[in-house]
Amino acid sequence: MSIKVKIKIDGEYQIFDYDGDLNIPVTTLLERLDYPIEYSCSCLQGLCGACAMVINSQPKLACKTFVNDEIMVKEYGIITIEPLSKFPLVKDLKVDRSILHDVMIDCEQWLESDARVSDDLNFDYEMSMCLMCGCCTEACPNYGFDDFVGTQVAVSASKLISQESDSQHSKSIKRKYKDKFYPHCLKTLACEDVCPMKIPTQRAISKMNRKSVWRIWQLLSGDI
Amino acid sequence: MSEIIVVGAGIAGMTAAVKASELGSHVTLISPDYSERSQSVMAMGGINAALGKNDSVDEHFADTMNGGCGINDVNAVKRLTDDAPQIINWLSSIGTTFTRDGEGKIDQRYFGGQKKKRTAYAGARTGKQIVTALINECRKNEAEGGVTRVVGWRFLSLIIKNGKCLGVICINEDTSEIREFLSDSVIIATGGLNKLFGKTSGSIHNDGVATARLFMQGVELANLEMIQYHPTTVNTPVKRMLITEAARGEGGKLYTIRDGEKWYFMKEWYPELAELMPRDVVSRSIYKASEAGKNHVYLDISHLEESIIKTKLDEVYEICTNYLNLDPTSEAIPVYPGVHFFMGGIKTDENHKTNIQGLYAAGECSVQYHGANRLGGNSLLGAVHGGWIAAENAIMDSNDDYINQIDDELESFNKFEKSGKSVDVEDELAEIMAQYMGIYRNEEDLKGALAKLEGLEVKANSYYDYIKLESLILLAKACVISALMRKESRGAHQRTDYPQTSEEFKRTTCVTYDGEINVAFR
Repeated sequence: MSIKVKIKIDGEYQIFDYDGDLNIPVTTLLERLDYPIEYSCSCLQGLCGACAMVINSQPKLACKTFVNDEIMVKEYGIITIEPLSKFPLVKDLKVDRSILHDVMIDCEQWLESDARVSDDLNFDYEMSMCLMCGCCTEACPNYGFDDFVGTQVAVSASKLISQESDSQHSKSIKRKYKDKFYPHCLKTLACEDVCPMKIPTQRAISKMNRKSVWRIWQLLSGDI
Repeated sequence: MSEIIVVGAGIAGMTAAVKASELGSHVTLISPDYSERSQSVMAMGGINAALGKNDSVDEHFADTMNGGCGINDVNAVKRLTDDAPQIINWLSSIGTTFTRDGEGKIDQRYFGGQKKKRTAYAGARTGKQIVTALINECRKNEAEGGVTRVVGWRFLSLIIKNGKCLGVICINEDTSEIREFLSDSVIIATGGLNKLFGKTSGSIHNDGVATARLFMQGVELANLEMIQYHPTTVNTPVKRMLITEAARGEGGKLYTIRDGEKWYFMKEWYPELAELMPRDVVSRSIYKASEAGKNHVYLDISHLEESIIKTKLDEVYEICTNYLNLDPTSEAIPVYPGVHFFMGGIKTDENHKTNIQGLYAAGECSVQYHGANRLGGNSLLGAVHGGWIAAENAIMDSNDDYINQIDDELESFNKFEKSGKSVDVEDELAEIMAQYMGIYRNEEDLKGALAKLEGLEVKANSYYDYIKLESLILLAKACVISALMRKESRGAHQRTDYPQTSEEFKRTTCVTYDGEINVAFR
């Protein structure tokens, strides 16, 4: 079956014709177009987060998104592929996501003590799955304004504060969260809808709010 | 304070960076992308250590040596297996969320080539969970100034003077800028030689170019003929993907159809360990049972509890449902061996030193632990251990010398002219390697492969693609010549014309380049 492939290349849309098997992921589609297109990729099987891009208006991992599953392909025979819009463009579909990593340093996302084995290992496991792909920040209507650091900070912090036994550092992680995350997140929870690893970001954010913002909780639990 | 360069930011590279920084050195950690994109995140199954009461480091040592068919470095394996419990404790202490049993102890499971439950794991994503913990640890060192990450750069060459390594020259992926990084020592942690075979089960970042370029510069390589075919890979539109050994560890069975009935050939041929024989044995068995791929072989996990498949094997479930339209809780998975791991690479001693002073290697790119066949669960262990040991040794080096070598690289860059798409030649290279460097080899085929490799003409539209192809073709020849010279069958290297294992070849294949490829067994 033939489809139109509409790709935003360096700010301009270009349309390519593709005729062939549609039971392929978008990364394979890009490889098969006879036109060199730059994009990040590494594992090609949804484990590394490199190939996050906007596919038919949704941020997704291109290597896990099958062309024939897309409604726009089924109904209209077209697929639109754009780079993530909230990071500086490098070339074609490749963007520079270094800000996501930089803010993790600003927000002190590490352990000072030996890790405690927390009561909820499943939760810690899920929070450790973050790919730093940027799908959540793309979908978030609040990201891109007022130095909001993005959901990856809440996800990481929610695990670290269970593992950290250095109370000073734990407090510091919470303070950073309260300053740099809490006031900016308006809880649309778009992040949870688009996370390719299905991380329950709502649980991460609720936990961090409970632990770092709501004073009554902290008073009752002695967690100040 | 010594200055150390680490090239590669997967598990081995990050461990080296963290350890060297903790020991007071400053580390420049160079990689093409962030650690989340490293191949290390793809490791599913687990990491070996003798933790249980019924297990011992001696048994872990013996199994690793047996798996490697006796050509592993005895001293290195001894240290690896002795240190393994300490490594698990360290990984746990930096926040790796290992799966635990009812008593809160780290749970362990069966893996191939081992009769004990020795493989610790973190759900179905052990590699990813370790990487996340290591990134946090590395980040702490970055914040304190001990580690500086340089992202988006690829290795081009080593700066060498009088046999001493003085730093590296790298190229920026996006801008093609070429620059030098000077240091007291260099640790290479760039992973396997994947690009020799086109697309393998691993990451496309691990193209093998760093190893190939080092080879051209006089770094000694070893055991290049030892290429691990993972027994259970599946064919998807993207590439061959891996079905983790944990699927067999949890009870998955292999069968093919013979005379209209399911034939469980592993149970018949190897009654004791059956599906849990070492990977080389299982791969050969699948090859034979399927009559060299003519008949389908299936991995059946459908008899396992659905909850086990969806938690402990969730990656298997995802690959099958996403890429094969197959539900492994009710259907068997068609599998066939595929290229997975390179036991060969940069020759290092038990301290992870190469033949060049000040140059170290760790992780899949370095050779000492795995011999002729790596056991599942020993690669993550080897990566952490290698990074750790390399760092402890690398901090002792110092340099006050400098040589201007970047001008040579820039001259070569400026002379480069576009000559066509490299991907066509890459495909040809991969086809030659897949055809002649498969599970079974013979002299006639290997000589044919050499002739075909000679006939390949380098074409490229970018400088990096040019040096990539030029060096990989040479490395491919070195692999084929190593296979040709090893006139016996051992582990991952099986010759139909020399089917016996020979005491004469119970040695390491050492390969050097000085304009000619030289192979010696030591």
